[in-house]
Amino acid sequence: MWGYVGRRLVLTIPTLLGASIIVFAMVHLAPGDPIAAVLPVDASKAQVEEIKKAYGFDRPLPVQYLKWLGHVVTGDLGKSIATRRAVILDVRDSLANSLVLAVSSSVLAFGAGIALGLLAAFRQGRALDKIASAIAVVGVSVPHYWAGIILIIIFSVQLNWLPAMGAAPDGGIVATLRHMTLPTIALALIPLGVIARVVRSAALDILAQEFVLALRAKGLAHRRVFAHVVKNAAPQIITVLGLQFGFQLGGSVLVEAVFSWPGTGYLLNLAIFQRDIPVLQGVILVLATFFVLLNLLVDVLQTFIDPRIARH
Amino acid sequence: MLLVAAHEISAIPGAPMSYWRTVAWRLARDRATLVAGTLLLLVMLSALLAPWIAPYDPNAGSIRLRLAPIGSASHVLGTDEQGRDMLSRLLWGGRMTLVAGLTPVVVAFLLGTVLGVVAGYAGGLTNTLVMRTMDVFYAFPAVLLAIAISGALGPGLPNTLISLSIVFVPRVVRVAESATVQVKGLEYLAAARASGAGVWQILRHHLLANVLGPVLVFASTQVSLSIILAAGLSFLGLGVTPPAAEWGLMLNTLRQSIYVNPVVPALPGLAIFVTSMALNLVSDGLRDAMEIRA
Amino acid sequence: MTRFVPSLFIAVLSLALASGAFAEGTLRIGMTAADIPYTGGQTDNGFEGFRFVGYQIYEPLINWDLSRSDKLPTLVPGLAESWEVSKSDPKKWIFKLRKNVKFHDGSAFNADAVLFTFDSIKNKQSPQFDQYGSAQISWRLSALKAMKKLDDSTIELETPTVTSFVPYQIVYMVIVSPAQWNKVKDWRKFAEQPSGTGPFKVTRFVPRERLEFEANKAYWDPKRTPKVDKLVLLPMPEPTTRLAALRSGQVDWIEVPPPDSIAQLKGAGFQIVTNKYPHNWGHILRLDKEPWNNKLVRKAANYAIDRVGICKNLLNDTCVPGTGVAYKGHPWFGNPKETYEHNPAKAKELLRQAGFDGASKRPARAVALISTSGSGQMLPLAMNELVQKNLKDVGIDVDLQPIEWNSLTQRFRIGFTGENAGVNALNISFNFLEPFSGFGRFFHSKSVPPTSVNIMPFVNPESDKLLDEAEKTFDLGKQDAILAKLHELVVDEAPWLFVVHDLNPRAMSTKVKGFVPPQSWFVDLTQVSITK
Repeated sequence: MWGYVGRRLVLTIPTLLGASIIVFAMVHLAPGDPIAAVLPVDASKAQVEEIKKAYGFDRPLPVQYLKWLGHVVTGDLGKSIATRRAVILDVRDSLANSLVLAVSSSVLAFGAGIALGLLAAFRQGRALDKIASAIAVVGVSVPHYWAGIILIIIFSVQLNWLPAMGAAPDGGIVATLRHMTLPTIALALIPLGVIARVVRSAALDILAQEFVLALRAKGLAHRRVFAHVVKNAAPQIITVLGLQFGFQLGGSVLVEAVFSWPGTGYLLNLAIFQRDIPVLQGVILVLATFFVLLNLLVDVLQTFIDPRIARH
Repeated sequence: MLLVAAHEISAIPGAPMSYWRTVAWRLARDRATLVAGTLLLLVMLSALLAPWIAPYDPNAGSIRLRLAPIGSASHVLGTDEQGRDMLSRLLWGGRMTLVAGLTPVVVAFLLGTVLGVVAGYAGGLTNTLVMRTMDVFYAFPAVLLAIAISGALGPGLPNTLISLSIVFVPRVVRVAESATVQVKGLEYLAAARASGAGVWQILRHHLLANVLGPVLVFASTQVSLSIILAAGLSFLGLGVTPPAAEWGLMLNTLRQSIYVNPVVPALPGLAIFVTSMALNLVSDGLRDAMEIRA
Repeated sequence: MTRFVPSLFIAVLSLALASGAFAEGTLRIGMTAADIPYTGGQTDNGFEGFRFVGYQIYEPLINWDLSRSDKLPTLVPGLAESWEVSKSDPKKWIFKLRKNVKFHDGSAFNADAVLFTFDSIKNKQSPQFDQYGSAQISWRLSALKAMKKLDDSTIELETPTVTSFVPYQIVYMVIVSPAQWNKVKDWRKFAEQPSGTGPFKVTRFVPRERLEFEANKAYWDPKRTPKVDKLVLLPMPEPTTRLAALRSGQVDWIEVPPPDSIAQLKGAGFQIVTNKYPHNWGHILRLDKEPWNNKLVRKAANYAIDRVGICKNLLNDTCVPGTGVAYKGHPWFGNPKETYEHNPAKAKELLRQAGFDGASKRPARAVALISTSGSGQMLPLAMNELVQKNLKDVGIDVDLQPIEWNSLTQRFRIGFTGENAGVNALNISFNFLEPFSGFGRFFHSKSVPPTSVNIMPFVNPESDKLLDEAEKTFDLGKQDAILAKLHELVVDEAPWLFVVHDLNPRAMSTKVKGFVPPQSWFVDLTQVSITK
């Protein structure tokens, strides 16, 4: 078992390395001059070149990559071109905001998703199953950025109950919660649907097993059956929970764009249009690392719960 | 939404026994999937026939008629912020969105199946190389990868297709490889080899039939995500460029107008939603009919 | 990465502890900028930076008088009480500095501070050289060759040539506190705790999120000590976000509300404030190739555009038709012969004269580079599509190539070569306050790239002559008359598609009182007050 964990841990290193190469390549593929983006139109060419040199952009790409990598492993993600602040600070602040959203959205999605999924499985074929499954399909199919806009239209524009943007940095807990409500709901919809469907499917599989049928025929208490289902479905459920949390953290760009929520997605969007290469590299790499470690955690947890699962 | 379990089919008089016929037979009895399938067909037909059935040129508009509400005279679904007819733009937009959504999945299906089967069948070093490379791409959440690549390549339909294809290929490879490995271990395959059947024959008859099923089902579940992502990229300004009609782009340009006329800006999103839902229901039905546990 | 969890904890904790109540008299503004402009002195984000940061924290030796709506701002004494050209050498200017002025950190303002600032921009060898700030501003300061201290309150400026444009340039160089800089010896650290002499002091700086100021109660001009206690700036690049923030009371004032929302805002009781100012939204044309190398075609295009339609129907009266570089009422407008009202018939006639019949013989396709957004670009996609339609209606075909704003500014810089070889029109907006940024950089033959941005290129000996003469005319009234003549020439030559002048729309709650919109991109926030 620990051998498996150890192997997986070691494997993440080449994965992360490969990811870093991709990040670097993607960001530098972008056409356009990053320095010229922050200088006035009339700045002289000489000045543009000087600032480029100060950032090391005049060196050949592989050299730039190695230098960047060298800094990254010591925790230095470079300096933003737009703010000249350390990228790690920008990333830290925005990541905190995204985590707040991802965690609250996950609580909603996991709770409601698991509940809906189990409800549907235990009432298979009946009205409740149909309703729960319908909700799940809706959740999976809805474009969450559109859902965000609809929520704004209804709750902000028409009813004026909830604010439409930002994260209320100057408000108290209540204001923050109010600001979080709509983006949390928007971000939770797809995961809710996915989780509900997976849970339903996994639970149904277990319920269909012959010995479970036999147990129920013998009159085993609902609670024991329920516990059995949950325990056996746990590995699959944990996998999907992990993946969906990753989706909410790494995929929050669209929701953050709609609500101007100052998270990593918002920062990413801004950096793309400002061509702020150090920020772009830093944000994407940090998110990818998070995701890789999250997958690793999920895999390890699964193996602990059910040692029979051994990925090749 | 499985209606008839496999072990019950033989009890029903007149039920077919061959695999694909069984699948078709099941689908014909699954009402929800039939409805969704019909809806999907309608969406695709209307997109295909847009040049003939759209009442107006999607790029023609009069600024004085902008943001006309639904049910206006001569514009049954209203007009957008440039005064262009919404119905026409939605019809034409469907083509763009569907192309942007389907193409990457088709590409991923083809490329991914080949890569996955090769990796699964060959095993050893080839497998490690292919799968570890896929792992690297898998390190990025789909949305993030799509946005990062699109941000690098720039806007435009071709770049969007490339970016989304790169996102989906690793996923298909994983499913295909996993299915191949499973089938490879089955006994009847060893028997076939022992009986002297060539590699190509084995691949074609046994491998493909048993691998294509799960891969197809998986791919069909990704189409709705691809559509949402493609529209999302346009929404961020990284996908299709104006003045093209595409549902995601329309959502973006109409967003400014939600305070003036909230219903019209909601229409493109509704279109994405309906199409996506139909796709999901159809792929659900397929999976149930083929009895695949993905 | 382990720092994230404590940070998150602290963030949540501080959110819980923060009182959420602001002192009375706090003005909160939602800006269009995507980020907080550079606070280290020579700011970035162009004029947006000056407007909210540069001219609030700092001051130059000469100020703009932004107190009137009905006339163009004039230059008035700032940190210099007076200035004049040296009688013995017209290439030397003497500035008498204001006495008893203190920086926010308490140190005294004097000639040393001016020299220190000058070196930070112009002298690469100086320890305080600000590479970033210098790149932002030095192109505006070509006339400032060297500075010498004559005594603690007197500075002598040396110019490379005889030029009357000096005050127009001095106004862009804001003075930073050497004492404060020397405490940190680093511009980024200085930017976090800046110190100038301006009416507002920075109290809190959260990068990308907010900039908070308090009134500088020790400001040297009692008439311009701010009436509000605090000022908060929030970057809000998304128009719908700004709108939502204003309507929900998160901010008191927003820049550029979405034009569609103006009627609604008025209905909901918000004030909409607009004014003319020297701003241009149009297309810069390529003059050395078809189709725009033919003056008749250029004039025809200008007569084809329905400017009133754009302003009324698309922009809800947040712009006015533009038929020249300046607008009527501006001292440099003059009396141009061409009036460029919407006259498709005249446009077609002009094209016929040029040999195009509108059917089989049409001018070469115009290929226009436009942006999808951008500061001052207004609604580029919608407006350009209308222009495209107008031109098509008279027989000129236009292809639009939308690219993203940053890319546009870079491609503007390189001119109609390289990447832009297939392009022959470029839609970029700009505003101007003085002769160089309004005319000099576009219409003088010496301003072709790489020197400046006369990318067309517009080479006209009469234009050169007028510009040179203006630069040698020290009497402002006479200078205005020369520039007006230049304007008439430019309008007649039609090197651009003149389209509209923006009206700088702002929306604010009725609590905001006392704001006077000047005919300028800049604003004076000191007279604004917030009622309960």
